[in-house]
Amino acid sequence: MRRLRYAGWLAVAAVVLAGAMALSVSVGEADLPWSLALDLRLPRTALAAVSGALFGVGGALIQSVTRNALASPDVIGVTQGAGLAAVIAVTAGLPYAFVAPTALAGGLLAAAVAFLLGARSGFTANRFVLGGVAIAFALRAGIEVTLTTADAIDAQRAQIWLLGSVNGLGWAEATPLAITLVVALPLLAMAAWALRTSALDDDTARGLGARPVGVRAGVGALGVVMAALATATVGAVDFVALVAPQTAQRIARTERPPIALAAVIGAALVVVADLVARRVLAPTQLPVGVVTAAIGGPFLIFLLLRARRA
Amino acid sequence: MGRRIGLLLGAAALLVLAVAASLAIGARPIPLGDVLSALFHPDGSETAVIVHDLRIPRTVVGLAVGPALAVAGLVMQALTRNPLAEPRILGISAGASTGVVLAIAVFGIGTLAGWIWFALLGALAAGAIVFTLGLRLGTGASSPITLALTGAAVDACLGAVIYTLLSTSTRTFDQFRFWAVGSLSGRGLDLVVQAAPILLLGLVSAIAAARGLDGLALGDEVAVGLGHRIALVRTSAAIAAVTLTGAAVALAGPIAFVGLAVPHAARALSARLKTGTSHALLLPLSALMGGVLVLVADTVGRVIAPPGEVPAGVLTALVGAPLLIALTRRNRLVAA
Repeated sequence: MRRLRYAGWLAVAAVVLAGAMALSVSVGEADLPWSLALDLRLPRTALAAVSGALFGVGGALIQSVTRNALASPDVIGVTQGAGLAAVIAVTAGLPYAFVAPTALAGGLLAAAVAFLLGARSGFTANRFVLGGVAIAFALRAGIEVTLTTADAIDAQRAQIWLLGSVNGLGWAEATPLAITLVVALPLLAMAAWALRTSALDDDTARGLGARPVGVRAGVGALGVVMAALATATVGAVDFVALVAPQTAQRIARTERPPIALAAVIGAALVVVADLVARRVLAPTQLPVGVVTAAIGGPFLIFLLLRARRA
Repeated sequence: MGRRIGLLLGAAALLVLAVAASLAIGARPIPLGDVLSALFHPDGSETAVIVHDLRIPRTVVGLAVGPALAVAGLVMQALTRNPLAEPRILGISAGASTGVVLAIAVFGIGTLAGWIWFALLGALAAGAIVFTLGLRLGTGASSPITLALTGAAVDACLGAVIYTLLSTSTRTFDQFRFWAVGSLSGRGLDLVVQAAPILLLGLVSAIAAARGLDGLALGDEVAVGLGHRIALVRTSAAIAAVTLTGAAVALAGPIAFVGLAVPHAARALSARLKTGTSHALLLPLSALMGGVLVLVADTVGRVIAPPGEVPAGVLTALVGAPLLIALTRRNRLVAA
């Protein structure tokens, strides 16, 4: 029964995603013949979808491991770490090809520092989150410092990247992300299984032959890599990694964020946000992250209020 | 009692030194004697012009902004019983920034003097949201996180608004990004005069709330038992926090972490010297130390990377960020 309901929601979300993608391809500044619209708008729409899926999965994994909805990459500094690295790369005049790898390294480094802060004298999710929040603020300060010292054009380019944008991107950026997603599928299936076992208390899990601590570390690292990879490619698209898994968990009424549903919801969220971002002030195209921040901020407050009541 | 006065006198002496340094040190160093003679005999010489037109205004701005931010942080930390509370972290600075961007982008106002009221309104709106949420979210095991996250959420929403407004013009963006990092340069004395009544209101509210905040630190019930009117204390403290932040941000931009770092430093210093934690002491001490921090940051920023200048906000961020991390590593903070 439970599986049936989950499959049902997954189907509904997939239909929503397909509809959003179709709309995203057909709506734009000009009325284009369908074939031309496909050529021009599908790459960007596809990139929005895959990056959204990666954000969703990454967030779901991190939230599962920490058992904390708030330990999302935006909150614990992964996004800001990637952002600072990317801003330094952009303003230092590095070729565009170097920006994404630099950003990836920055995001992973920030996660490692947050983890180390959390690991001291016994790892707790709270300490991890708080350390991450501190790192996030510190990195934000670093980003602003870099932005003021750069020249105006570089700074504005970096700013757009910071807010997350799929403008002018396409297949070249979408393909590595899609490959990552496909390659990671078996790992994800294993992760889902391992997380189910580790939901038991640690001693029982060990008795069954599982290694709960190793599992959590591995799954958490996988989540961080996926979220950081998406951030490195499309920039800091805010809150998707927080909102998508939480929404999935709520509608499927599961105990942990369900991975596949989080992926589809994340994808749909970014596609819709991008559509809104390029139409709301047309012809000015807003970065997609502006729209997700506007949705995600209130959602975070809603989560906090709910957590308080519970 | 004598120790407390000694502590305050020491801090005041430091502030005097910081003022002297701020007047004497810069792209062109001026001996203190020449500064003094130029101060009292504005003879139109180059030295006199530099001192009067450049260094005195930015020193006065620093003297207004540093204490305002430090006192705002102190009051917020007591009000929310949260060691992470700070204008920036609570999203109140972002509110003030939003007001300024609205002024630039929508109303076409290009002067700092015109931005003050918008900054104040923005701070007021954001403060109302965060404190209302903060009260509903209340205190508890996760309260430092909850509050920081509430601020982050408000910050994100306001960031979206700011960017949307900025996205249409590179010129507006350029104007804004220099303001947004926090700096004392290029602000005239007239601006300080304009902000003075607001700062004064904030300061008076903070002083009025000081004793009540001592009571609140012991818990609501104890505070009531001691005869404090909690609602009045909270309102007064909130007014102080918002007006001081709004005016300071309007004057110098959202200078980071002063409101976080200074009250903690003041508390640590006072604990070390065994002079207690009463707000009657912490308030003037924070104000003095806030002035010192901002003036020193500004002065160092003038000479650290010649021929350019590093804005004060950058240096305070560099000091404040590690402090924030250090604070979160303390055990009592997670248990608070």
